[in-house]
Amino acid sequence: MLMQINIARRINPATGKACIIGDFAIYLDDSTCLNLIIQAMRIERSAVFLLIFFIASSCAAQLQPVYTFQKDDSLLKKNYYDQSAKKKDILLASVDKKNLPDYKKIYENQFKEIGQLWQSDRSVTAPGAHEYLQSVVQKIISANVELKKTDARVVFSRDWWPNAYSMGDGTIAINAGLVVFMDNEAELVFVLSHELAHYFLDHTGSAIKKYVETVNSESFQKELKRLAKTEYGVNRQLEELSKSFAFSSRRHTRENEAAADRLAFSFMKKTGYDCGAIKTSLELLDKIDDSLLYKPLALQQVFNFNEYPFKKKWIQKESSIFSQLDENDSPLTLKEKDSLKTHPDCTQRISLLNDSIQAIPAGKKFLVNEELFRQLKKNFFIEMTEQCFRDKNLGRNLYYSLLLLQVQENTPLAVYSVARGLNRIYEYQKNHQLGTKIDAVSKSYPDEYNQLLRMLDQLRLDEIANVNYYFCKQYESLMKGYAGFDEEMNKVKQLRKNL
Amino acid sequence: MKKNLLAASLIILVAINSQSQTLSIENVHRVSLRNSDAIKEGSEVKGYYFFYVSDKIDKRTNEYTLQITDNNLKKLKDIKFQDSKHVSILESSFNGTDLIFLFYNDDERTFEYQVYGADGKKKYSYNRQLTKKEERYLENSYLAMEDDENNFKGLYPIDGKGFISNMPSREDKDYTFQLDFFSTEKKKQWTYIPTIGGKKFIGDYLGYHNGVVFIEVLKFTGMMDGNPESSIVGLDLETGKQVFEKSTDQAKYKFYPASMSVMNDGKAVLFGEYFNPNGNIIKDKSLGFAFWGVNEKGATVNEKYCAWDLELGKFLNVSSKGKIEDFGFMYLHNMIQTADGNIFAIGEGYKKVASGLGIAAKVLSMGRSNGLSTVKVKVTDMILIKFDKDYNVKEAKIYDKNSNTQELPGGMEFTSTPLIGKLLKYTFGKFDYAYSQTNKENTSFTVCYSDYVRGKDYKGGTFNSISYNEGKVTTDKINTKSDATRSAVMPGKQGQVLILDYYKKAKRIDVHFEKLN
Repeated sequence: MLMQINIARRINPATGKACIIGDFAIYLDDSTCLNLIIQAMRIERSAVFLLIFFIASSCAAQLQPVYTFQKDDSLLKKNYYDQSAKKKDILLASVDKKNLPDYKKIYENQFKEIGQLWQSDRSVTAPGAHEYLQSVVQKIISANVELKKTDARVVFSRDWWPNAYSMGDGTIAINAGLVVFMDNEAELVFVLSHELAHYFLDHTGSAIKKYVETVNSESFQKELKRLAKTEYGVNRQLEELSKSFAFSSRRHTRENEAAADRLAFSFMKKTGYDCGAIKTSLELLDKIDDSLLYKPLALQQVFNFNEYPFKKKWIQKESSIFSQLDENDSPLTLKEKDSLKTHPDCTQRISLLNDSIQAIPAGKKFLVNEELFRQLKKNFFIEMTEQCFRDKNLGRNLYYSLLLLQVQENTPLAVYSVARGLNRIYEYQKNHQLGTKIDAVSKSYPDEYNQLLRMLDQLRLDEIANVNYYFCKQYESLMKGYAGFDEEMNKVKQLRKNL
Repeated sequence: MKKNLLAASLIILVAINSQSQTLSIENVHRVSLRNSDAIKEGSEVKGYYFFYVSDKIDKRTNEYTLQITDNNLKKLKDIKFQDSKHVSILESSFNGTDLIFLFYNDDERTFEYQVYGADGKKKYSYNRQLTKKEERYLENSYLAMEDDENNFKGLYPIDGKGFISNMPSREDKDYTFQLDFFSTEKKKQWTYIPTIGGKKFIGDYLGYHNGVVFIEVLKFTGMMDGNPESSIVGLDLETGKQVFEKSTDQAKYKFYPASMSVMNDGKAVLFGEYFNPNGNIIKDKSLGFAFWGVNEKGATVNEKYCAWDLELGKFLNVSSKGKIEDFGFMYLHNMIQTADGNIFAIGEGYKKVASGLGIAAKVLSMGRSNGLSTVKVKVTDMILIKFDKDYNVKEAKIYDKNSNTQELPGGMEFTSTPLIGKLLKYTFGKFDYAYSQTNKENTSFTVCYSDYVRGKDYKGGTFNSISYNEGKVTTDKINTKSDATRSAVMPGKQGQVLILDYYKKAKRIDVHFEKLN
């Protein structure tokens, strides 16, 4: 069977489509709840630490060495990993034994993904950022008695795609790529409340149960057996069967989303935060785009040098065959398309809650620390840029590095990151491996990113070396003494010699 | 390559996770695939099509899906239809505005040319019913033919106007060819079948210029005629009527045009090899390259002859019969004119050598005729020859590759070298040359060919390129043996290739584009 349920959905990194806050929630256990309370007690201390860290990092920007991530608390990650493993076993012990193999497969797969988050450098457990997040989470928990015993493990992740998600075992992640778009702490609180609501309502567990019970049901199995014996029209009938299943499960998912929104509102209104943030968050999700944050990337200026002028052909669009084909090309009716959406439209979500939001007095946009929140956004942009490099997502790393360069707040770091990125791109292209390290142009990406991708697609090996050389040369005096830059400069000089 | 295309086609049936310039496909299941290929406009890859059986409807009918992707493998359109289970796609072409697919029903012996417009909707359909004789003839000619990309070749685009189809045909006792024009502007078709003045005709489509379709025709007086007449025939694109017929045997030398290009000045030039005035273009060795400028009335505007020894001899050690030292004779694969006016000939070497196997067989059979010839053919290196705009040789360079050999059937010891070249190309498929591509501006081109390396660090197949970009020639090599169970290289955009890696154990196919350096 090709049918598969999305247990813990992240937005597809390739599409980069606007965030639709992730799915589902689950019940809590006492030990992890205690853990959260202990962490909450550390908040005040860590907020001060974070402030010092941020001030220090911005002061040192001009002579900053090669960027290093905020140091994560590896013990905490290990602790979270163990808790997730334990939770998986608890969940498995509670399922109907008749269909145990199916449940096992689903939960093992789910744990694989969760384990990867805890074991990689994607999750942020650095004391400053993490404890700030816990303090915000605590604002929600302390205001809602039903959440007192939650074992939710909430973290920021360094992932670039704008999303937040609940994995069903208590793991909740808020991606850096979403935080950078948020305007205030209240918006973060809504996102957290929504994910906590999914967990509280056990949407993941219910969806898994529904899936397993459906595919093992007598009628479903009977239909499958009948199809196995059928000679003609099998694919069409299988498609119909899977379509009806998908419509049904998506309808439930959408109902779950609406339920999570309602409960999130209920959680949030007791916190003292401004519930108007629900509306602004949902509006943001509807139109999220890099152009909201940054001025357009001026590639033709950044890579235009007196000795090596920018070539227009680098970014020229190719004429595409059947340009009209990709519009409205789906055998599904509009109604069917609508039925397949996992989330209701954001406007619909807003309208469902609007009256309730209007009915309560406006709250605060910040309750923990506005300055920290703003600095966190800036730092997360750097962190997700660096994470892209570590994930060998070189096109996106270069894109964010160039955006960072335009902001002019971290110029040396941005210059170094661009130089390093272009040198890596050269190496991968030389070894014919670049195709797996850069995204393909996509309609869902911002125009400027697509323009950069087209350029990377067009540049020949010698042109990459030349572009990088003149780029480095332009910043040579500014970058004097910047650790790592000299190495990249020497590398590109050598590459040009070998051409 | 066809086998590997099967893998590519699985893309369409399974969920894909698209990240980077990669399509990663999991849960690869066995499917019944008919065909797939790159959709090209000239040499430019504009997309890919995948044609597969998506369902069985009844005993005789299948549901087919024709999926079209862009050149980044982004799915653009699924065209579903029901047809006989005997249907397959032979080839496709794109003329800048419309797509054409040639379907073949081997049970009912019908060709169906389907034209699709820019909106992906079917515009027209043209049918041709084959006789049994025609079918048999085609099975031994067109249907058995393989071109550079191991695919059928008989559909040529005419920009924005339609397509020319050229394939062998049988008319009563004559063996001839049939040229069809299928309009994409309106439903209009004409057919040209030469039958007068000979018993056998071979026709090659040369090109289109100023409203005239140019074809090279070899006319044989009988089936055993070994010295055919060669002529260029011009047909009016609108009506299919013959505009001119011009002999290529009557000039200073005998000329055998291989192709036609419209040069940067807008004039059409035929190019190919030339022979002694009394020579035989099928049997004799050529004297060199010839270029004929022609107009739409068939008049020769200018001629240029480049003798092997005098012109090419300035750069390589070459005999007057065109044999280059260590390289052998040259088989001309393609000619390209770049925006700077230079013209490049792309060729590959081959030479006869003694066949130990053939000689031993002859000795063992006491000198009697047996299945193998005492000579075999060795396919050698690649060659790139640069001409200036006046067709003077300016550079010639041989690009080494490992040689491979082809045993010949007994009795072929005395077959002429040019004929052996054609056999290597069309019958044995032994040349390593794969294809060449130019960019739209004609400022760069890439010649691609395969090779096999037995090195210390690497032993296996390689995909090689000779690239010309703004006056500079570079070479590159991609090892096609990887961790994957099987890998294949397909044409991509100019300067790029599409690499398919199939991982059997993981039931996964990764497809990604890579640039040639």
